[in-house]
Amino acid sequence: MLNQSLIEDVLTAALSTGGDFSEIFVEDRFTNNFTLQSGKIESCLSGRDFGIGIRVFKGLQSVYAYSTDFTKEGIIKAAKNAAHAINGKTIIQLAPLVKESFETINPVQFLPKEVDKTRKAAIMKNAYDTAKNYHSSISQVTVRYMDEEQNVLIANSEGKLIEDKRVRSRMAIQAVAVRDNQMETGFYGPGAHQGFEFFENSNMDYFATEAARIAVTMLDASPCPSGKFPVIIDNEFGGVIFHEACGHGLEATAVAKNHSVFANRLGEMVAPEIVTYIDDGTLKNEWGSINIDDEGEKARKNVLIENGILKGYLIDKFNSRRMGMESTGSGRRQSFRFAPTSRMTNTYIAPGKSTPEEIITNTEYGIYTKYMGGGQVNPATGDYNFAVMEAYEVKNGKLGKPLKGATLIGNGPKTLQLVDMVGNNLGHGAGMCGSQSGSIPVNVGQPMIRVSEITVGGTKGE
Amino acid sequence: MIQEFQAKLFNEAQSSGFTDVEMYYEKKEVFGCQVYKGEIDQYEIAEDGGVSFRGIINGKMGYAYSEKIDDASIPFLLDNAKENTQIMHDEDIEEIFAGSNHYKQGNFFSPSINEIPIPEKIQFIKDVERELLALDPRIVGTEYCGIRTESVSRNLSNNKGLSLTDQMNYLYVIVETIVREGAETKTSFEFQVTKDFHRLNAMEIAKKAADEALSQLRSRNIPSKEYPILLRNDAAASLLATFSSNFSAENTQAGISSLKDKLGMQIASQKITIVDDPFLEEGLASRTFDSEGVATKNLTLVESGVLQSLLHNQKTAKKEQTETTGHAHKDSYKNAVKVGPSNFYIEPSTTPFEALLASVDEGVLITNLSGLHSGANTVSGDFSLAANGFYLKDGKVQYPVNLMTIAGNFYQLLLNVEEISSDLTFPLSPIGSPSILVKSLSVTVE
Repeated sequence: MLNQSLIEDVLTAALSTGGDFSEIFVEDRFTNNFTLQSGKIESCLSGRDFGIGIRVFKGLQSVYAYSTDFTKEGIIKAAKNAAHAINGKTIIQLAPLVKESFETINPVQFLPKEVDKTRKAAIMKNAYDTAKNYHSSISQVTVRYMDEEQNVLIANSEGKLIEDKRVRSRMAIQAVAVRDNQMETGFYGPGAHQGFEFFENSNMDYFATEAARIAVTMLDASPCPSGKFPVIIDNEFGGVIFHEACGHGLEATAVAKNHSVFANRLGEMVAPEIVTYIDDGTLKNEWGSINIDDEGEKARKNVLIENGILKGYLIDKFNSRRMGMESTGSGRRQSFRFAPTSRMTNTYIAPGKSTPEEIITNTEYGIYTKYMGGGQVNPATGDYNFAVMEAYEVKNGKLGKPLKGATLIGNGPKTLQLVDMVGNNLGHGAGMCGSQSGSIPVNVGQPMIRVSEITVGGTKGE
Repeated sequence: MIQEFQAKLFNEAQSSGFTDVEMYYEKKEVFGCQVYKGEIDQYEIAEDGGVSFRGIINGKMGYAYSEKIDDASIPFLLDNAKENTQIMHDEDIEEIFAGSNHYKQGNFFSPSINEIPIPEKIQFIKDVERELLALDPRIVGTEYCGIRTESVSRNLSNNKGLSLTDQMNYLYVIVETIVREGAETKTSFEFQVTKDFHRLNAMEIAKKAADEALSQLRSRNIPSKEYPILLRNDAAASLLATFSSNFSAENTQAGISSLKDKLGMQIASQKITIVDDPFLEEGLASRTFDSEGVATKNLTLVESGVLQSLLHNQKTAKKEQTETTGHAHKDSYKNAVKVGPSNFYIEPSTTPFEALLASVDEGVLITNLSGLHSGANTVSGDFSLAANGFYLKDGKVQYPVNLMTIAGNFYQLLLNVEEISSDLTFPLSPIGSPSILVKSLSVTVE
């Protein structure tokens, strides 16, 4: 993507004012985004993102410059702009660049650009028809298709030189159901770190049907009661609760400055013994998987909480300096426009022993949430909130009527302590996670779990 | 260089069979600096941009964009735009616009912002942090303490002779403060956006950031039930922003907005007037032309509660045999032309915030809402959101309340607005609101 002598010139220019580390990130990304609504493909966008990000460290200072100017002068100018902010005495020498290679954990059969767009349109239309024909109350279906090929080159003054090609495919189906004046929605958005084969090898009809089924089911849902209840959260995207409640608090971004509620607690019991929490970037072809992170470190499986004990954090190169701990292959960014920082990949609660039936049967009264919407956390306080897309009342160990309009709120570390059952049906769900270094693909995951008490903010009064 | 690229692109487009063509070019310069404990922590400097190509071939509009602006990108843009038209089913033809009769001038660029030396900006943000940390021992640090300037220029030109340019810039300061007392931790988000750096006062920013965070300490429980709600201006604006897409004709036509067929009807309390002002000098979405090149103008969407107009681009207007309102919008050169507001806000009254507060016998003041991207159903209008705020009694703020949720329906809320105040604000957003007093919402306390 750039020749080696230019890379060396850039890394050297970036160190010219006394920085102790320099890095270049080159990105060339091809994307397709198509939208189908009312049975017609109404928007088709294809494009190429291209740019360069240059980073310089000096001690605990980090400088970042980026540019879409790809000329030699343009890139060197960006490196000098970055260096300009550094004021040091010792000029260090660049280590000789050694090209690294690796075996991919995300094999791709069909690159998006090699697949005719009419085939992409056809799978969108199928998903649309399946959802639309599910029930007469389905009034609108929107299908979004996305594919991308992101080529990156990462090199740094420590001699690292590595390249990767990341191919991702995703489809998002939103269905709207209408009855009288009431409108409800359902959503499903599967994705993978894989080529077009993802759509052909997955059961897209199932995903489309689920989106429609949720919307139709919600037409008959009652307003969710408010208060504190036992909550059963099903697998796959249900894992968003721990993504918010503890994943973000374990990122070095929050831990390094002691802002996180989990800072300085390694080795402490932070959860019941039945909870093991893992971030694993190496799961084959999963949406949040990476071969290497955006600092060129190989992806790995990081056990964060093991049998309730806090074992580790997610650490990027810069925060590893402040923390005095090694990087964990967790430096990620949306694009060349963002300096990387510590982020999650595929994060999940490891499966336990209970069957889903046991968990429900053992719950006298509570809320069962089948699908979650998104959520948010304040890493400094640990306060989180997230929305429930499809929920049911649990009464005397049985599932009852559907409920709508529920938001769960609470404090991450406290909720973690209240997990009292962990199921055996681990599943993962794809999502986009937004934080300091932009919006990145991650998986959240878990088996079915039960939390003995969560505050539920419903639309029905007490 | 960009002119040469455009000439070549248009030439080759016409040889490839495109009849009408348009190029949109955006260029941005960014500077940002964050400090932590008196030192520079993060520093960012950037120049970037890209082009978006649109063209009509076989009667259909194709799109493609590139951030790499070189000769090799021309076939990439044209091939992709052409292929994309082959899978489009849309019968509603988009048009390349020949131009409006008159374009009102706007003043959105302040040269002084770009002239401030970088060290002066860095010193300012260091001052803010120093003042803040010295104010109270309970202030343990900042999650973010930064200053940033952005300049953006846009150019739209097409083969019908249109060539439009405008530019804007702004400077902003953001301080996220963390305070701790015993086991309780609270945070606040304080910001200032300006075109005049010398109007900013470090001590004033520090004081506001500190007060906002400290005032939330020693929070208590209150019974969960329905309360009259005073939504502070910034919280009200974030709620309005979440539902603003419902005012787009694109959404009503797609059947995903409940404002469909509501023109001329009372959709909000008589106190509510909602306008869109593309010429607001300090506005973050000010523009003299929209994403199709149509001249922008002021628009009243809701007048005394009655829905007067939706936001239209050329395509949605044609469907309803009306005129575009100049609200074609794309987030950047990477996006297709959709419909979107410029500076969109609820008009303030002349009543001060304090008067609204004094009128509440018992209620809750909401100062922050979160989970807006997930806890609000933009289609049905239902929301259940995490909230921070204070218990109100006898017209006075009593104490902060533990984390809450407030739940209701946006359309119902609009109808239940009892009073609005004079304190219009735009919380780092082009969508603004004054504080509003709502009859009641359901509150659940953790």
